[in-house]
Amino acid sequence: MSKISKEEIKNIATMTKLSIKEDDMAGIQKQFVEMLAYAERVQEVAKDIDIPSNKNINHDREDSAVVSDAADILAQAPQEEDNYFVVPKIVDSE
Amino acid sequence: MKDLSFATIQEIKQDLENKEYSPEDVVNFYLKRFAQVDDKVKSALEVFDKESVLKTFKCHGMLEGIPGLIKDNICQKDRITSCASKILQNYRAPYDATVIERLKEEGALLLGRANMDEFAMGSSTETSAFFKTANPWNLDCVPGGSSGGSAAAVAAGLVPWALGSETGGSVRQPAGLCGIVGLKPTYGAISRYGVVAYASSLDQVGVFTRSVYDNALVFSVLAGHDKKDASSLKLEKKDYTQVLDGSLPKGLRIGLVKTAFESEGLDSQVAQATKDAVKSLEEQGAIVQEIELPTLDYAAATYFIISRAEAASNLARFDGVRYGSRAQDIKNLEDLYVKSRSEGFGQEVQVRMMVGNYVLSAGYAGKFYHNAKKVQRLIRKDFQDAFSQVDLLVMPTQPSPAFEFGKFDDNKLQLDLQDYYTAPVNLAGCCAISLPCGFTKENMPVGFQLIGPRLSEQLLFQVGHAYQQVTDWHTKHPNL
Repeated sequence: MSKISKEEIKNIATMTKLSIKEDDMAGIQKQFVEMLAYAERVQEVAKDIDIPSNKNINHDREDSAVVSDAADILAQAPQEEDNYFVVPKIVDSE
Repeated sequence: MKDLSFATIQEIKQDLENKEYSPEDVVNFYLKRFAQVDDKVKSALEVFDKESVLKTFKCHGMLEGIPGLIKDNICQKDRITSCASKILQNYRAPYDATVIERLKEEGALLLGRANMDEFAMGSSTETSAFFKTANPWNLDCVPGGSSGGSAAAVAAGLVPWALGSETGGSVRQPAGLCGIVGLKPTYGAISRYGVVAYASSLDQVGVFTRSVYDNALVFSVLAGHDKKDASSLKLEKKDYTQVLDGSLPKGLRIGLVKTAFESEGLDSQVAQATKDAVKSLEEQGAIVQEIELPTLDYAAATYFIISRAEAASNLARFDGVRYGSRAQDIKNLEDLYVKSRSEGFGQEVQVRMMVGNYVLSAGYAGKFYHNAKKVQRLIRKDFQDAFSQVDLLVMPTQPSPAFEFGKFDDNKLQLDLQDYYTAPVNLAGCCAISLPCGFTKENMPVGFQLIGPRLSEQLLFQVGHAYQQVTDWHTKHPNL
């Protein structure tokens, strides 16, 4: 069975851009461990498989410009100004 | 005005053609029914007002004057599309999904937004950030999920059809639990443009109705190539109801999946109802044989890994910058991402994204993700082998009848295993339809699924329609 420490879960959370409350940790860890313990069974059959990949078909389309109204898009933004999305300052000016 | 609760599309169409009432009367009737019944069922996140419903109404087409409900991960222009998540609770779609465009073009009346598991992640509709939906057959039980609101609305006679979406069984499983028809089309048969992505290599829009005939009708409106979806198949438009004459194709070979009945988790009443359905098809002339699907017991695990991996990348786009909610009191950009996502997503979604990143991470991708993709090939081959021997496969849709709220709160894995019989079909990319086939002693509905090779929807409809000519499970409805 996969052993996944709280520390590992915290790392994965950071990678996923999430922070986990201490109260939720035990429940999340349990769900994580049980899911992966079940999922491990794919190893049992995957070893001897030699079947070529059967990918879904994708159709490309021409890369052409489509006119749309920026105002409609920006209307959904939590914060916007002068045709831009506003985010907190990224570069520190120290 | 005639009582239209539990009416089929076919019946309403006939009445409208005979001018017994008008499309406006139909809207009035169903909006009133929502007001009377949906307090108990809670299928809809929002029911639209009459004026705005009629504003986009086109007085022509295959679904002229026929009302339906739309799962809330499908964009309807100028309406909220929340995915039942706090992170999108105020998001208004600036455009129509292709399926919505097609429905409007064919005269459908879109009455509202259906509740669902948050971002379509769940099998009970309990992970909705807003409220739980009840099963119309027993209000203490779940309707299934993730398209539970759509299924409950049709089962409760609030609308004759509804749209859902499937990644691992989210249309067929709630259809089974609610006693209605649910279609999972072939991957690529229906455009996903404007449908919020969960696991893109598996996602498909699906259809809920009371009868197979109605399902074929709605599918006819939706199916067909769309250049806005790169995975859309070059499929010609056609009317799938044309060949529904109530008979089975001569010499139809059906494979009863023997492996499915060997699983410990299968409820004995569900198993019996499925076998009874096969017997009924045999009496109608089908040639039945038993088939093995050796990889069945590996499909759920394969599905868990692939779906979580794709979810992790698909849901990275929700960052509080361009749309969706943004947390307050933020110090910097990193803080903006982390706080907005941690506050905006519910726990189930958070765990699925994290599991996804884990199975994709450098140390574990070989063990989990790459192996799962290999097993997926084996599953596809199993189905191909089966379809070289028979035309259609039969399995139960659901391991058990609808369960009570909270039953799996401490055992999420068992809840995830609701996908046991449905997920293999999504992994194989083929199509399947769940049909009501009986009730348990406790009067809860049971469904079984007909599974066909890619693009065999026509055959599924033909066989399903023939089955519904000699059975009456689909005409039963709950008392609300």
